[in-house]
Amino acid sequence: MRKLKITFMVGAIMAMAFTTTQAQDVDEIISTYLENIGGVDALKSLKGMKITAKVNQGGMEIPLDIYQMADGRQMTSISFQGMTIKQGVFDGETLWGTNFQTMKAEKSDSEATSNQKLDANDFPDALIDYKEKGYTAELLGKEDMDGSETFKVKLVKEPRMIDGVEVDDITYYYFDTEAFIPLAQESEINQGPQKGSIQQIKFSDYQEVDGLYFPFSMTQGIKDGMSQPIIIDAIELNPEVADADFAFPEE
Amino acid sequence: MKKAYLSIALSLGAIVSTFAQDIVLKGDALFGGLQARHIGPALMSGRIIDLETHPTNDKVLYVGTAGGGVWKSSNGGSSFVPIFDEHTQCIGQIALDPSNPDKNIWVGTGEIWTRNSVSVGDGLYKSTDGGVNFKKVGFENSERISSIEINPNNSQEMYVGVLGALWGDSEERGVFKSSDGGATWEKILYIDQKTGCGDVILDPNDPNTLYASMWEFRRTGWSFESGGNNSALYKSTDAGKTWNKIHNGFPAGKLGRIAVAVAPSDSKRIYAVLETEKDKDKGLYRSDDAGASWELLNGDFGLVVRPFYFSRIVVDPKNPDVVIKGGLFGSISRDGGKTFRNLGNMHADIHDFAFNINNSDQMFAGTDGGVYRSWDGGNTMEIVANLPVSQFYHISVDNEEPYNIYGGLQDNGSWYGPSQSPGGIEARDWNVVGVGDGFRVLRHPTKRILYSEMQGADNVWRYDMDKNQTKTIQPLPVKGDPKLRFNWNAPMAISDHQPDRFYMGSQFLHKSEDMGNTWEIISPDLTTNDKSKQQQENSGGLSKDNSGAENHCTIFTIAESPVDQNVIWVGTDDGNVQVTQDGGKTWTNTTPNISGLPANTWVYHIEASVHGKGTAYAVFDGHTSNDKTPYAYKTTDFGQTWTSIISEDVYGFVRSIQEDYESENLLFLGTEFGLYATIDGGKNWSRFNKGIPPVAVHFLDLQKQTNDLVLGTHGRGIIIVDDISPMRQLSQEVLAKNFHFLETKPTIIQESGGFGGTATEREFVGRNRSSAAKIMYYMKKRHIFGKMSLEIQDMDGNTLTEISPSKSKGINIVTWSYNIRPPRMAKGKTFSFGGFTPARVPAGTYKVVLTKGKETFETTIELINDPKSDRTEADRMTLHKQTMDIYNTCEDLAYMVYELDEIVAKAEEVSKNGGSKTAKPVISELTALKETLVITTGDNYVGSAEPQLREKLATLYSKIAQGFDPANASELENLALLTERFDKAKADFAKIKSKRVAKMEKFMAGKSMEPVKLKTREEYLKDQ
Repeated sequence: MRKLKITFMVGAIMAMAFTTTQAQDVDEIISTYLENIGGVDALKSLKGMKITAKVNQGGMEIPLDIYQMADGRQMTSISFQGMTIKQGVFDGETLWGTNFQTMKAEKSDSEATSNQKLDANDFPDALIDYKEKGYTAELLGKEDMDGSETFKVKLVKEPRMIDGVEVDDITYYYFDTEAFIPLAQESEINQGPQKGSIQQIKFSDYQEVDGLYFPFSMTQGIKDGMSQPIIIDAIELNPEVADADFAFPEE
Repeated sequence: MKKAYLSIALSLGAIVSTFAQDIVLKGDALFGGLQARHIGPALMSGRIIDLETHPTNDKVLYVGTAGGGVWKSSNGGSSFVPIFDEHTQCIGQIALDPSNPDKNIWVGTGEIWTRNSVSVGDGLYKSTDGGVNFKKVGFENSERISSIEINPNNSQEMYVGVLGALWGDSEERGVFKSSDGGATWEKILYIDQKTGCGDVILDPNDPNTLYASMWEFRRTGWSFESGGNNSALYKSTDAGKTWNKIHNGFPAGKLGRIAVAVAPSDSKRIYAVLETEKDKDKGLYRSDDAGASWELLNGDFGLVVRPFYFSRIVVDPKNPDVVIKGGLFGSISRDGGKTFRNLGNMHADIHDFAFNINNSDQMFAGTDGGVYRSWDGGNTMEIVANLPVSQFYHISVDNEEPYNIYGGLQDNGSWYGPSQSPGGIEARDWNVVGVGDGFRVLRHPTKRILYSEMQGADNVWRYDMDKNQTKTIQPLPVKGDPKLRFNWNAPMAISDHQPDRFYMGSQFLHKSEDMGNTWEIISPDLTTNDKSKQQQENSGGLSKDNSGAENHCTIFTIAESPVDQNVIWVGTDDGNVQVTQDGGKTWTNTTPNISGLPANTWVYHIEASVHGKGTAYAVFDGHTSNDKTPYAYKTTDFGQTWTSIISEDVYGFVRSIQEDYESENLLFLGTEFGLYATIDGGKNWSRFNKGIPPVAVHFLDLQKQTNDLVLGTHGRGIIIVDDISPMRQLSQEVLAKNFHFLETKPTIIQESGGFGGTATEREFVGRNRSSAAKIMYYMKKRHIFGKMSLEIQDMDGNTLTEISPSKSKGINIVTWSYNIRPPRMAKGKTFSFGGFTPARVPAGTYKVVLTKGKETFETTIELINDPKSDRTEADRMTLHKQTMDIYNTCEDLAYMVYELDEIVAKAEEVSKNGGSKTAKPVISELTALKETLVITTGDNYVGSAEPQLREKLATLYSKIAQGFDPANASELENLALLTERFDKAKADFAKIKSKRVAKMEKFMAGKSMEPVKLKTREEYLKDQ
């Protein structure tokens, strides 16, 4: 595993040496990135992943198990005091979560559910086959991200419905110009009191799991504001899951 | 082969020589994880320049501010977010492309209401993604863009009106046209270097028809001139190819600034407000034939007041007879301009309006004090309470804990407020300590007294903060004195040596040793006393404007050396840097010793250094002479020689400088476009953009106890960079390392808290400083690959908690709220909320272990108790022991319930496999026991069941753990009760195990069934 990582690093540096001499185009950046994290074929053969992580909130460590499946199913299960609460669960049709007061499952609103369906084709990475999916990507130029030089890439996915109005779904990626992997990702918040603010997720601690590379540390927050780190302890590829885990529990 | 060898040797040589050079970090690479916080205030907000609505979506509103950037509301003006934080914050005009208003947004920078204190713009910007990203498209030297008009039928065709430079000649003025969406521009209406475009308006119903008002104007540091023979109103009917004056009905002679508007619902109806030579001709003119002829309708004060400041007319989109004019109070007419009345009460000085596109009764007004909303046609106005765009002229800090920040605002009085407050810093935290325009506010070094002032030192107040008593104390002329000339922003200073000493500057330096009761002049006229710059009664041009704002040949900055009270520095607005070394007996003008500085450049700030009595810094601002070059100088010999400490990195003229009290090479610069810092004495500067937009930074102060850098900005209120001390430690030796822990001061365990704030959802609340312990380190490169983790351990190496470390290049800051995880709680049907309380660690030294790939780095951090607290060491030890005892009891209970659950699960298995006789009693007795230990029914809210032992323990634990005092008698008695109950439960459990469970185990052994497999307590706790 360590050997692989070194090879990868060397590969990244070599890629840099070869590519920085010429102008970058967005497809080169994306394809180099996908190659660097394990290659499109390997990524596409993934059936799902389970991310074991924790967040720290005011001294309280909250363990999370995040499931993401190739067919769009997903689930975050949170453990508190020996009990499990599920949030952001999607079985392909219904998006739901546990109500903290009643501990019972409740469905998300229909707009959120339809928008969730749009993400079903983005596993494990929205950038794979982005053109075939009808997305557009554009290189906006180079930008500094916390002292590192990055390529800023704009990805426009399927439009979403927000409060009854169709809006573009835009994500900005900041690819490190040496390693060709994203250091951060930004998007405009398009609903709620923070609407118009920029949400930012920073990535680091890229590590190899069965030949694929994933960031094992992410920090999410409002740009130039407060942020919340998430530490990933393990990533399991192609985990065993049961349909019942994702299904909305009918009482 | 030889050749190859040679080239390797050469490249090695190059590497070696690179190594010999200093390591220079720029920008984010230097500042890393340092992050500024904004604390407002927003309750009085700040000057608004332009309001723009969306053509079809009435929930969207854009606000362009004088110095605080562009803000967007998506909820009908209820709240706003800033969308222009990477560019100059001084805004002239915002425009939405009518064909694509959700995507294409244009921002013309440079305030167009040309008061003395306006900032400058630097071009035209465009966003094609609804304001997420903006790019400059040109007009670098436009300074002020007044209009952006886009053909509603053709996004490619657009017009830009450039008002242009305020303080000097410029050819980048007039009306410009682009036919390719802004890629190239043609100047289509230009008069001369002094005449700019005040407004260009496209007839909304005919994109070939344009109106342009041209204005001849000029400001200097000491005068303002509005009007001339070149001011005129033009019309074009061929998309800007030809222009004709439309003055039929206007008076002859010179004209000043002309406001103009076309009624959106009737293209023939045009309104114009003229500034003319004769007062009788000034007022609102109306044309009902698209400008062919004009009639003067009204010359009320509200229409003609200060045209340079108020030249905006807005016509109701649906009704051509409803027209509003900006002014001191704002005026509205409902009869086509014949008569007007004032709008409802709001902050004075109203610059722009916007009607709701669907309902004209709803409108917005932009004032010197923020944005106001009305739902009843402007009768009742209500402020938007979340636009923190206040404009400070000056700020200072005190030494209280938490320290306070003092300062004065453009047209918004003087204030002080805390650097932190329960729940955040909000409107209720701010105290008003002066009226009118506010400038400098200084706190007496030892007493609860402060000094504040209004414009031109018309009043200087000494205010007793406890008694709420005010006394005016400004120096007044006495027999033999000439007229005293005070700057609009008159300087004052206090002394580090004599707490009651107080200085003020007119053209003389005034000193008081008794807090302003008596004054003595201790200098000659320190200015150039140029009489030609003292004709303010003639200032204004066609509209006399002698507000005092142009007073010149005055002292602007005063600094007594913190090292020697006899060394006093004075800087004047006409370019003199004067110093005395004998307390004012003799003065030396050191300006001739400054090279590279144009004569008479405004001395904006002098900082007398703590590092030597002859050491001082002076910054100069030439923008009122049309010179935007940054100037900053240092002397170490009382001004005999001055060295420039500016590098090419600095963009924008300089208004303030702050030295660090410890590291002489660490300096901060407040410029018109943001904050800069240097760690090498000014050889290299970097703009600090971690949360600080390119806003005009008028003053800086460094709070001595906290090392917080406090910025008084002219447009984004007060911004704080908490604790700049890590920057002191960035020596060349440190910068050469891949990783280096920076030293941190011991962290005081905060004992105060409170119940939070009172702000409503839509009020701005400023962020508090984190009270957590800080772990700081420098990294040469950003960490991208492999694991990087951080643990806090006790000094024996036991892990207390894991924290996600920051991974940036440069300075990294990680916080630890000196807690360990909450206790593991027994599993029940619902949550035990008390059990979510983490346990605080006691004061002491803790190990920080950072693992980065294969490498491990260690340091220690120290927690100390609040020295101001009256709690004893013994009390604290008792509290910690009590907390941890209940913490462990909660975990004992958790393990017991786990064990019980495992046995019941096994019993159910046994029961199914023919052992129901022995298993059933186990199940029933243990279930009954469990029901006394944890809640097994109900929900987390009002459907909750009666609390059991777990809930009661957790509640008590939470009370004790969150407090700072040992458990009180009642809590101890309650604990005894719960302990007794737990002891009984343990005994019951043991009894059931020894009797019922033992019997079942015998049965299981007989059937060769697997016994219950239990984790050890340690394993169980670890796995939770």
